[in-house]
Amino acid sequence: MTSNSTLHILNKAPEHPRYQACINALAPSDTLVLIENGVLSAAGNQLHAPCTLYALKADIDARALEAACENLNTIDYDELVQLTATHPKIISW
Amino acid sequence: MSTLIVIDQAPYGFWTGREALDMAFSLAAFDQPAAMLFTGAGVNWLRKGQRPDGVGQKSAEKNLSAAPLFGIEALIADEHACQQYGLTESTMLPGVELVSNIRDVLGDHKHVVFAG
Amino acid sequence: MPNSLTFTLVITGAPWTSQAPQTALMFATAALSAGHSIDRVFLYGDGVHLASSLSTPPSDEAHWPQQWSVFLKKHDIPATACIASALRRGLIDKTEQARYELPAENLLAPFEIAGLGEWVEGSQAADRTIYFHGN
Repeated sequence: MTSNSTLHILNKAPEHPRYQACINALAPSDTLVLIENGVLSAAGNQLHAPCTLYALKADIDARALEAACENLNTIDYDELVQLTATHPKIISW
Repeated sequence: MSTLIVIDQAPYGFWTGREALDMAFSLAAFDQPAAMLFTGAGVNWLRKGQRPDGVGQKSAEKNLSAAPLFGIEALIADEHACQQYGLTESTMLPGVELVSNIRDVLGDHKHVVFAG
Repeated sequence: MPNSLTFTLVITGAPWTSQAPQTALMFATAALSAGHSIDRVFLYGDGVHLASSLSTPPSDEAHWPQQWSVFLKKHDIPATACIASALRRGLIDKTEQARYELPAENLLAPFEIAGLGEWVEGSQAADRTIYFHGN
């Protein structure tokens, strides 16, 4: 059960100051979802998240990052909704 | 349970911080507990002696100094960001709590909100 | 495990500046299909541009304000643009047009203009408040 962990939704590219702030805030029991420009961090091995990690498939496909993201768990909008339903605490970065 | 409003953008060059402050004041006006966290370039809100007449804006410092009167429970600043921007106790607004572990601060609040 | 939850959605990113309105609409559609309900949509900061009735993208591009308008009407979801954010950015309803004696109003139905109290109330009452920010 994930009820005491935080769901982090990150839509910033790695250059954005808030990107690193989010990564620094992650606890091992948390879950991180990359959406929008956030999925760019999967390109070029820039991503080091110490917790459960998902990325939104529509944003990966849009940016032609399927190959870079092949080791990531990808989710669709339905699964994103499920994650928000199972996590009472959510931070949108 | 409290809401933490986070400001991570500098005053004057961005409007988001002012809209974040409005959110915090609104919570307080509706008797909902609210605290504010200043991190990254957002710590520049906390510098004393701002004189924004020349840029045609209201003083962020003056707006923020009303926070205790409005009932904002705490003004919290990221210690590392303060060091980065050369802010010391003598150059900062009084009553700001310095923290080194942001993760703990985020964990202490039920809602964590950026204004944009 | 919760079955049906209520969501408040807060959009702070503008259309054509960010993906926020689009991501929020996809999320909202998925939330309803999963049996959840959306209590309220609140536009804040640059997000208020979504409520402009004057946005006119080229006809072969997605029209986010219209898509949101159709979605909100179809599902009878109340949607509010923050009054302070809206007035600063030139989003005006009939009441504010009259109050400030302005030459036009441009608020897209069913959006309404109201204060941050709507956000405070929405985020206290809803099971989840999800923010969609710009970049």
